[in-house]
Amino acid sequence: MAVFQAALVNEIEKLYKKKKALVAILLSLAVIVIGQLAIVVVRSGFGLRGAGSVEFPMLVLSVVVNTILPLFTALVAIDSFSGELSQNSMRITLTRPVSRFKIFTAKITAIVLFILATLLLLLIFSMLAGFIFNTNSATWDSLVRTVFSYLVSLFPMVVLALGIVLLANLFKSGISVFFVSILVFIVLKVLGVVFSQYSSLLMTTQLDWYNLFLVNSFPLGKIVRQFLIMLGSGIMLFTAGFYLFDKKEF
Amino acid sequence: MEKVIEIKNLTKVYGNGRGIKDINLDIYKGDIFGFLGPNGAGKTTAMKIMTGLVRPELGDVKIFGYSVMEEYELAMEKVGCLIEIAEAYPYLSAFDNLKQLARYYSDVDNKRIDEVLELTGMIKYKQEKPKKFSLGMKQRLGLAAAVLSRPKVVILDEPLNGLDVEGMIDIRKMIQYLAEREQTTFFISSHLIHDVELTCNRIGVIYDGKMLNVESTPNILKNYATLENYFVSEVERNGRVSSCAR
Repeated sequence: MAVFQAALVNEIEKLYKKKKALVAILLSLAVIVIGQLAIVVVRSGFGLRGAGSVEFPMLVLSVVVNTILPLFTALVAIDSFSGELSQNSMRITLTRPVSRFKIFTAKITAIVLFILATLLLLLIFSMLAGFIFNTNSATWDSLVRTVFSYLVSLFPMVVLALGIVLLANLFKSGISVFFVSILVFIVLKVLGVVFSQYSSLLMTTQLDWYNLFLVNSFPLGKIVRQFLIMLGSGIMLFTAGFYLFDKKEF
Repeated sequence: MEKVIEIKNLTKVYGNGRGIKDINLDIYKGDIFGFLGPNGAGKTTAMKIMTGLVRPELGDVKIFGYSVMEEYELAMEKVGCLIEIAEAYPYLSAFDNLKQLARYYSDVDNKRIDEVLELTGMIKYKQEKPKKFSLGMKQRLGLAAAVLSRPKVVILDEPLNGLDVEGMIDIRKMIQYLAEREQTTFFISSHLIHDVELTCNRIGVIYDGKMLNVESTPNILKNYATLENYFVSEVERNGRVSSCAR
């Protein structure tokens, strides 16, 4: 466990010191500022309500889970695998008394922590912006649902990250991984529209699964089914990604 | 004498036909083993397998009795290495780079990091980032990383790459100091045959993926004027044999 802990601390230090993750988080926060400005302009210019204090964080979430959050997750995941592979710096860790499984798991855990930190920061700042600038329409129930929606959005994002990690272990160059990831993302989005009856199986549709928690008649069956689909695909992607990482020659 | 590294039937052939074939080798405690061979003979492949970066098709490497394939963490616990080019994270300072590695060992603290930076002459660049380092400075940092954990075995692939004369002398002295004082075993590959002659006490020659001969340096120098003469004669003899066989 101490070895895994060391590997995890190293991965977090690298994420932090590289400053890419920090820039990603700052850009995410910029979305809140731009979104809030847009709502203020709409309200004062056209006399429309825009969004209430609790609706604003949900508006932010619906935008970021389909745009910048997958994008930054891809950048961090690609950098952690393809980036280190191309610079040969992966060897620095690989020749220490730590198994490849622990290195792989530590890298994935650091990516998960990055996604969680971004989601939490977005939640806190969008709530603050919502309460300060928008008319107060908050109830405890809607507040709890908002927090929950942010937290559950972590799961589909982790599955997506595992998919990108698999690609990063399949292709050598980071740029190829990035473009293939975007292509796959778009194809899955289109497939989700064309074959809407099967869309719940696709990871791009699962990004919006937080909506299930907002329905008044809590659809437990659907939530469990979606969760199990995500868990299954997550386990498969993790295993396939690790298999390739373990077989790799450095 | 205690066997530190045990290489048995090690085989790994790449698509282009190069690689290593059926290598058997034992390294004993206190050895400073020089691994000599022409370019493409399989030196780096063998060293990559020894450090778990590449998996062999056949055979095994045991370090202190632990298999590198099966019990990697235990096998690498007392090993320090530098394979091919010394790599460092360009966005971390020299100190932070070593700190990353220090976390894997319970007995390596900040004082030890300063010690190895001092030992390799890098202490004045402690807070600088390697992206501004010359090849020689990177190599020194790589060597500092290799000896950081007070390893019992150090595997070095071309450790003198990019070093100036002063650097070469420093590193040679460091190797001899660690071998004498701490009984550290070294496994070194190098093209600089004169330096191998001055540093190593046992020599192994690899040619075309096969181990030709292993001999102690004093024995070699009894029969040959220099190590270079021995090396050329070994390689030529083998080259002639293989060309005659064709």
